[in-house]
Amino acid sequence: MVQEATRRRVLAAAAAALPVVIGGCKGLGALGTPPKPAADVAVTRDAITVESALIARYGAVLAALPSLAGELRPLLAQHHDHLARLRARLIIPRAAAQPSAPPSGTPSPRPAPVPGTPAGALADLRDAENAAAAALLAHLNAAPPSLAQLLASISASEATHALILGQGGHR
Amino acid sequence: MSPSHGPGSGPPTIRALQAALTAENTAVYGYGVAGAHLTGARRAAAVRYWVAHENARDTLTAMLTAQGGQPVAAAAAYALPFGVRSAPAAVSLAAVLEDRVAAVYLGLVALSEPSLRAFGAAGVRTAALRAAAWRGSTLAFPGFEVTPPSSPKTAARASRS
Repeated sequence: MVQEATRRRVLAAAAAALPVVIGGCKGLGALGTPPKPAADVAVTRDAITVESALIARYGAVLAALPSLAGELRPLLAQHHDHLARLRARLIIPRAAAQPSAPPSGTPSPRPAPVPGTPAGALADLRDAENAAAAALLAHLNAAPPSLAQLLASISASEATHALILGQGGHR
Repeated sequence: MSPSHGPGSGPPTIRALQAALTAENTAVYGYGVAGAHLTGARRAAAVRYWVAHENARDTLTAMLTAQGGQPVAAAAAYALPFGVRSAPAAVSLAAVLEDRVAAVYLGLVALSEPSLRAFGAAGVRTAALRAAAWRGSTLAFPGFEVTPPSSPKTAARASRS
């Protein structure tokens, strides 16, 4: 009788504790993957993909047309600055960092063919810069303020790259 | 005294718009100074951008009024980063003015209102394009970088600030 009462009390206590345990788990889950930083990370990763693709494109053009190095190197250097600033916002495990870190100058696995003439290649890069500038702004409202500012700044930089490429190169 | 928000006060939106308006007023003044030392195509560009900054000033004034702010009035003159006595100095000044305009529009991008973010981003882009056109080269981070002027008057600027 006494034993039965004790068992009931224990069961009741366990039942009462259950929501707390579940709530606790939910709380831990929320701590593990808070919605806002997750959006931040996704936007940053997308921007890193955009920058990496541009850098690969510059690499492909430079490999095919080394005579453009004088004009393209200053612009490429700024893309490396963009990428470094974006990567600094993420803590990427070494293994996960590998795919998005191709050595500069290495063409992506299946690169689109580089136009054969310098003028064609510059026009190709100009289009790529404009496309990247637009892609970065598409994420503007998903980003927290400081990331939004970084995206807007990089996008503006890429618009100026397109301007310079349209003038026939960096002077 | 009006109950509306003057310069340097009020919510973040008003403050950011006031900062942009001040930068546009400075650009309007500065282009007047720079344009006087330029000729030909560069003078034509200076006049075109001068008008564009006047239009931007009017847009910001209207936006501030709509937000219940009291637009900061234009001053008779603004301190420029260095004296202009030659065409190269005029070009440097124009580029620096645009860098500063880019910086204040980047401030608007930090606001949460999507339309103001887009407006700010467009402002950064436009100013960065003009700065690049003047300089013939680009910046990695327009709006974050306000480059020191490549002018003999750099020391005067440093001592002023």
